[in-house]
Amino acid sequence: MSKAAEKKSYPCYSTAKSDEWYARAAKVIPSGVYGHLGPAEGQFIPVNRWPRFMEKAKGSYFWDVDGNRYIDYMCAYGPNVLGYCDPDVDEAARKQMELGNCTTSPSKIMVECAELLTDTVASIDWAFFAKNGNDATQGAILTARAYTHKKKLIFFNGFYHGVSPMVQKIDYPGVTPEDVANNLYVDWDDIEGFKQLVAENKDEIAALIAQPYDHGNFYDNKFPKEGFWQEIRKICTDNGILIIVDDVRTGFRLDLAGSDHYFGFEADLICFCKALANGYNMSAFCGKEFLKGAASGLSYTGSYWMSAVPFAACIACINKMKKINAPALFKELGTEFTEGLKKAGAEHGFDLVVSGAPALFYLRIANDDSLMIHQDWIAECVNRGLFLASHHNHFINASLTHEDINESLEIAEEAFKATKLLHPEIG
Amino acid sequence: MIDQKTLAYINLYAVLGALENLCELAPEASALLTNKKPLSIGFDVKGGPAATITFYNGQCRMTDGCKKCDVKLPFGSPEKFNGLIDGTVTPIPTKGYLHIGFLLKDFTKLTDLLNKYMRPSEEDLKDPDFFKINTTLTLYVVGVAIAQIANQDEIGKFSAAHTADGSVLIGIDGGPAVEVRVKDHHFVTLKRRPEKFRAAMSFVDYETANALFNGTVNALTALGTGKIGMHGLNSMLDNINRILDRVSIYLA
Repeated sequence: MSKAAEKKSYPCYSTAKSDEWYARAAKVIPSGVYGHLGPAEGQFIPVNRWPRFMEKAKGSYFWDVDGNRYIDYMCAYGPNVLGYCDPDVDEAARKQMELGNCTTSPSKIMVECAELLTDTVASIDWAFFAKNGNDATQGAILTARAYTHKKKLIFFNGFYHGVSPMVQKIDYPGVTPEDVANNLYVDWDDIEGFKQLVAENKDEIAALIAQPYDHGNFYDNKFPKEGFWQEIRKICTDNGILIIVDDVRTGFRLDLAGSDHYFGFEADLICFCKALANGYNMSAFCGKEFLKGAASGLSYTGSYWMSAVPFAACIACINKMKKINAPALFKELGTEFTEGLKKAGAEHGFDLVVSGAPALFYLRIANDDSLMIHQDWIAECVNRGLFLASHHNHFINASLTHEDINESLEIAEEAFKATKLLHPEIG
Repeated sequence: MIDQKTLAYINLYAVLGALENLCELAPEASALLTNKKPLSIGFDVKGGPAATITFYNGQCRMTDGCKKCDVKLPFGSPEKFNGLIDGTVTPIPTKGYLHIGFLLKDFTKLTDLLNKYMRPSEEDLKDPDFFKINTTLTLYVVGVAIAQIANQDEIGKFSAAHTADGSVLIGIDGGPAVEVRVKDHHFVTLKRRPEKFRAAMSFVDYETANALFNGTVNALTALGTGKIGMHGLNSMLDNINRILDRVSIYLA
């Protein structure tokens, strides 16, 4: 049998049961599935080619309610960092569950977790634990305001720092002009604009909150220009402005010592969530010693914020990421996959642009400026078992194998062929 | 939350602007203008919009400005003009007294008819033809209102400032559509189906469009069930949907 003949084919999946479950969901849950996991915000285009509910997950795969298997490059939008149901993390969580989880007195394992985190992340001296990324960014903002006694915040346009009204935008449903009255906006990488904003709001700015690089949606992700963060650091230090790094998405995928460390500067406060505990629900905002008092004084807590099981999972997860040098592995796997995608695309006439870090690669087919060809290709991939996102950065997890990547590339190639049939204008 | 100037732009361009479509869609509207001499009415809102509606041959057309009109209706403020639409202000023409009969009879009948189609009774909506006209007119009104809010309303301008250049199609599959054109964050709506567009929001049928416009179905749920489709540069649609939220405040 020739090599070509051995090549597996990837027929399109049926998602009929997903349709049924979605219809049930829409009756009792606002918009069926709200937020980033749902078909609207998740950009499921067209919706009937995407799974909407999963049955089970393991390693780099999940299976939907129709029994279809997907190689998953979204990793639950980040939390799956070692592989779904990682045995080491799950074992640590199970052992802690036998001892206790949500209890009146927190477990000492919280202390061990904070010690490990402060030993791992270069710029921090303490950790304040919560549940979601939004809890972490809010906690960091409250700490910055409590310490500086200033009210304004600087954001880089294209930002996403959670869902609290103060970090949403004035035109979002339920947000009032007063909620965002203290927010200042400047373009990413615009040092002069940043300086001007600081000068115009002298002694009023508590903090800059920023992602370590611009990983927004619908456009190619952008790394900072050489020396950008160092210059921003100096301006902020000179003007008494704190730097909050939102490492919720990028944390531990670029550098286990923090993304500020990766880009060669020090944050005052840094926020983590997704990759902390391989899917166990926890987040943390962490900071320098001089901010510990301000964080201590916050009225900020939650029913499950000190639950012990996620701390056990976090310790196991961080230790395993250290052991396997996860960032290097993510870079290697992400590069292998995206180079393969670009090559396959080029062979079929597609100008596939890859941007961002390989561990969190962003994809865009640049043959048209409407992204419609891109959306059609993504749908062809997803509907054949390669789960990519339409307009969001992706995530590599440590359980991904070279065989998975090869299979993913085969699906991607078949999807390119199918997309070309839809768009004969592609040469 | 409502800016009177923005509302005046909506009332003039979107609401009164729908008269031209009413005449095309509803034979009883067209009949009111048949066998009448052509006549133009200018609406001049101080500190707000100005436009002229020309009635001719069973039809009407709206054009910007009111330098050339047979009847001129000046309004001292956007609030005063909005009062005309609410029925609380009676305008006094500064030009064209001879045509006052048209203004009091035919024009009033026409706007009453528009009101009938735009604020229908449940009984009327049971008639499939009426339902189709109501939905089509609402699409046009909403489409034009989007542009007014994007250009005039403070929060709408924020959404517009984040919208990329290009055309967006909003329409019903196999039915009417509008083209929302964006250039340097300025919006213009054309009541036609564009040949080329960067993003599209399409309703599978009139029922879905009507339900969305009337707030009886949620857009995100409809996207999930496939009743509404989106395609293309969806960041444009994201911003337009935020403006659409404000349309319902202004047209409530």
